[in-house]
Amino acid sequence: MAALGLCRAFGALLLSAGPRRARPLALPPGPQPWLPGPLSAPAACRGLSGSAPRCTTDPLWKCRTKYTVRPVGMKKTGGRDHTGRVRVRGIGGGHKRRYRMIDFQRLRYEEGAPAEPFAEKVISVRYDPCRSADIALVAGGNRKRWIIATENMQPGSTITNSPHISRMAVSASEGDAYPLGALPVGTLICNLESHPGKGAQYIRAAGTCGVLLRKVNGTAIVQLPSKRHMQVLETCVATVGRVSNVDHNKRVIGKAGRNRWLGKRPHTGLWHRKGGWAGRKIKPLPPMKSYVNLPRVKAVE
Amino acid sequence: MAAMAAGPKALRRAGVAAAAVATRGLTRGIVTRAGRPRHRAPLPRTPWTVRGPPPEVLAEMAEPRPVREQVELDTVTYAERLHYVPGLARPRFPPWERGWRDPWHSPGPRYEEMPLYKERGCYICHQGVRMLEGVRQAQWLTKTKLVEGLPPAVQTIMDNPALGLQELEERAKHMVSHARLWDTAEAAPRRERYCPMLFENLIHICRLMAGKYPALSKRMLARNCRIAATWERESILLQVRGLSGILMNSMSPIAPVASKEEILATKEHILETFYPIAPTIDLQEVNVYRELNDTGFRDGYPYSHPHTLFFLESANVRTDRFRPEQLRAKMLMFAFGNALAKARALHGNDPKVLEQPIVVQSIGTDGQLFQFMVFQLNTTDLVSNDGVKNLVWIDSDQNLYERAQCVPEVKKGVVTKPAGISGFQPDTFKKFLALYLHGTV
Repeated sequence: MAALGLCRAFGALLLSAGPRRARPLALPPGPQPWLPGPLSAPAACRGLSGSAPRCTTDPLWKCRTKYTVRPVGMKKTGGRDHTGRVRVRGIGGGHKRRYRMIDFQRLRYEEGAPAEPFAEKVISVRYDPCRSADIALVAGGNRKRWIIATENMQPGSTITNSPHISRMAVSASEGDAYPLGALPVGTLICNLESHPGKGAQYIRAAGTCGVLLRKVNGTAIVQLPSKRHMQVLETCVATVGRVSNVDHNKRVIGKAGRNRWLGKRPHTGLWHRKGGWAGRKIKPLPPMKSYVNLPRVKAVE
Repeated sequence: MAAMAAGPKALRRAGVAAAAVATRGLTRGIVTRAGRPRHRAPLPRTPWTVRGPPPEVLAEMAEPRPVREQVELDTVTYAERLHYVPGLARPRFPPWERGWRDPWHSPGPRYEEMPLYKERGCYICHQGVRMLEGVRQAQWLTKTKLVEGLPPAVQTIMDNPALGLQELEERAKHMVSHARLWDTAEAAPRRERYCPMLFENLIHICRLMAGKYPALSKRMLARNCRIAATWERESILLQVRGLSGILMNSMSPIAPVASKEEILATKEHILETFYPIAPTIDLQEVNVYRELNDTGFRDGYPYSHPHTLFFLESANVRTDRFRPEQLRAKMLMFAFGNALAKARALHGNDPKVLEQPIVVQSIGTDGQLFQFMVFQLNTTDLVSNDGVKNLVWIDSDQNLYERAQCVPEVKKGVVTKPAGISGFQPDTFKKFLALYLHGTV
């Protein structure tokens, strides 16, 4: 404590009136190319009293290019961004997690393989700390990869991935991946992508599913779990069925500490008067989100 | 430096700044180790994850930007100021060169520039390969038919009362106790210690039989020997490579286990496939390799015939050990590799059905659970799926003992589980001994 107090005292001294008196003492008269005047004092005293952010997390672990099935060690951010400021409140602590690289693009062909339908075998289905849904390890050809598991995926079952859109709708079994154009209207789908080949970004949370409502000249309209409608190209790939871990919303947290295990920090205890945010809201559904005519697609043409 | 005279405080400040810049970061009085320089920019918009480089980078790679023309005014950088100055451009220096070759800090040659680089990839099975499909996959790769249980030649040795195996049982139990209980002064030895010790003890008992059968003394145990065997299987080039367990060699080969009729009967056997999964999954694909067949011993080595391979799974951590199925697959691959290398050394590289099949045994253990395997190489013609197959007898998951209690379990002052070995199974030891005696008795 004494040392800390001493440091604080020095810091106060240096930041306020200290440097004015100290500089003539510290710096000899004459040119000092590596210590120009106004910048020198804070730079020199940073070791004692400055506020240089210490970087404890290295975000570069997520810039990995090569795919691997092995879990990758993660660094906790505590909700901070690269400048060190809090970007998301209420994050911190929790059990150590490792990241398993999920392949969201179900229709990713093996290197050198033709663009044909291919099958894969489910090896295991397991918990993933990084998401609410379960994940499945699938193997096909010379390759293994992690995917998001659907509700009834079992180890040993075979799933297919097909790029073909035929005139007849296919009778798909759960866990298969097809373009939306190939599926019959009314199918429950998950892991939907907004642009063909982009990789699934919609309907990935535990127990969710979307409904394929209708298909209109080359596009498909899907009802998202929020009941909002979304229009995408019919070549967008989706997985048939519902995402696994259906009982995710029924689990009981039980105590405040369990949320801390999950890396969530408590809310502030400050009392707020209830305003317009409380109570029932009746709002019209937002308009249909269309991903069909985006400039990026035009640029490709 | 004139600041020396200025005062101890200023001196300390200057020293601190210099130290912080030079070797280690000194922040708020906390000394930290010098690490990688901090990443000071936002991450790329599309992270370089599964999807590979983001589209902008790809586009840049495809169309390199035209070289910027030399502007009239030179950009003013803060290079001569030796530190960052806001408003001035960041200097670009040529990459620093050491001027001499440091093997620790020089990237090796690219794979494509290596002399052994080949277009065609080769799938390599080495010590660390855990096969997803286990024995089935190894069977396909080695074109082998599986028979459960041990072959009759080994069974007769086990059942032969003239060998006096009964007296050795008590001795074997002592050896297990020695490895599991009495070996260390600690409460309980770890697997890293007791698994090799148990193997040594069992081998020691086996060697005692040499008094009765002098031919047994013509054996040699080789550790850390390397094996290289190359073969082709349906347009896939395969290799077994690297360290191969503990190899026991003998001066004379083991007689073939299966008769001619049994060998011919394997023509009808159809190899099992596992469709969505390729048989080469989990094998390491390399492009820099040498097509080599080598038994690991020089010509003229008197103990030239591979007899038995021992695999010890002695890692303490469960995830570092092979699971029994993976261990059996590895045992099969290496027994096959040794047999194939020996066959190539004896009969040349031409694929053919061997007149005198080669038998190699292998035993795998994790200190408690034993896997026994007898492999017979009938043919070196492995390209096609039909024709004569090789044969393997596998006796899997044999416990030598149920439980080794190092510290007695006491509940409420009553000893519920006394210390000692419980559930010792002499049959497992007999199998071990029979495989040792096989080929001599």
